[in-house]
Amino acid sequence: MAAAASERQVRISRIAGRYLVFDIEDVVHMRRHHGICAVLTGTMPQNPTQNLFLGLPIELHAEEAKLLVDKKAGYIADELSEHLSRLTGPDEAARKAYIQSLKRQRRAAHAAFEEEKAKVRAQHQGKRKAGKKAKQTPAVAAESAEDDASTIGVAAAAAAAEGEQGESLFSTAPPKQPAAARESPLPGITPTTSSDLLLPCPARTVGDSSSSMAKDLSPSSYPFYRYLNSRGYYTTPGLRFGGDYSVYPGDPFRYHAHYLANSYGWDEEIPMLDLVTSGRLGTAVKKSFLFGAEKPANEGAVAGAGGSEVRVFCVEWAGM
Amino acid sequence: MHLAALSKIVLKNLEFQHDWTSLQEHVQSNLPRSLLFGLPPKRLYVHPDEQIDIIKAEKQLKERIPQEPEFEWVLPLHLSEKWSPCQFAAVFDAIEAIPPPGAAQESVGLDYADAPWRLWRGPKRGKRILLATVQDDSTVTYYWIHDGLVKPRQN
Repeated sequence: MAAAASERQVRISRIAGRYLVFDIEDVVHMRRHHGICAVLTGTMPQNPTQNLFLGLPIELHAEEAKLLVDKKAGYIADELSEHLSRLTGPDEAARKAYIQSLKRQRRAAHAAFEEEKAKVRAQHQGKRKAGKKAKQTPAVAAESAEDDASTIGVAAAAAAAEGEQGESLFSTAPPKQPAAARESPLPGITPTTSSDLLLPCPARTVGDSSSSMAKDLSPSSYPFYRYLNSRGYYTTPGLRFGGDYSVYPGDPFRYHAHYLANSYGWDEEIPMLDLVTSGRLGTAVKKSFLFGAEKPANEGAVAGAGGSEVRVFCVEWAGM
Repeated sequence: MHLAALSKIVLKNLEFQHDWTSLQEHVQSNLPRSLLFGLPPKRLYVHPDEQIDIIKAEKQLKERIPQEPEFEWVLPLHLSEKWSPCQFAAVFDAIEAIPPPGAAQESVGLDYADAPWRLWRGPKRGKRILLATVQDDSTVTYYWIHDGLVKPRQN
């Protein structure tokens, strides 16, 4: 179990410059083993103004995505090129698997429709029965039930037939329809996710494209973020307290934030008014204002092995 | 504003508004500017973990532990100044955690010298400086700046 957890590769989808994770297992894994909460951003397509309880996907900061890649605990997939290459790729087996998965979804939808229909029919019959209770004979009911069974049987046969033919769907012209079985064709659906397209996760993605993509993502606050993360701190976006991050000493479900944090450049000049106002705000909400910067490595030759050094300072009101 | 004038404003403010004593200017070649240090009338900063140690000790000893004030560093700044993390790091690197007279005072033998709550005044004390920010209207406001991650007080 522990080994499996440490080997897990989080799939980070890069879409329009944002880093998203769609797999709930990955989300749980990141939170539990890497101290990354990120932000739930998904809402319901039918009610996009509902923003109280958001769901998948989860959106990562660029520095969080970079941290996962650097720890070899995740990889970045550029969704646009990935999807196109999967859809047009020459891999016959993968294509068949995908077509089969679409079939499966359509069959499931079909079964759901049928069930719904049967329920409605049963309701109507129940009403009719209640209406003409005296006249009704059990024979009629039995007959209609038999009728239902036969239609379902036919539909199933059709589904099976189509499943067999699915393989040749793209290579040759569609074969002649098996005549009688066509009375209830499988419904057309729009798949809501393309997860089936990605099912066989190829190992090649991990190395090449993702590391090159991780290179061009180097947010300036990354060293500061990594410093906090390596000390077991959790971060959430800090805008509500006017900073870059709110920093928690553990999972935000269990703790209040200790700091509101900003990352600066080593020689970036900070107006004293910013320190004063942030320090005052932080004290008012029982936090202290944390700011830090990465010391450039070339100054001390000793730094080499451990990488860069990050210096942090905490500001709070002195109470006098 | 001239630096000398700035530290004079802070020094006078501490002396006459906040009743500090033993105030002194501290000049050191590797400091970007001279610091002040002095003794406040009452203790200014208690680390939250120290507070826990004190309460535990008080429960055990069944008596109040007097909290005598400690010598503190003061860095005078004008509100319109801009400082980089590099400069703050330079100041912290140049100073000891405890100002010179405080260090001399601590070295004198004390009761409970190795009690957990005592250590916060000596070896466990992190570097901290009182930022004295001066406004043009000569208002001075004071903020603690700590070196490293120091958890906030539960005030």
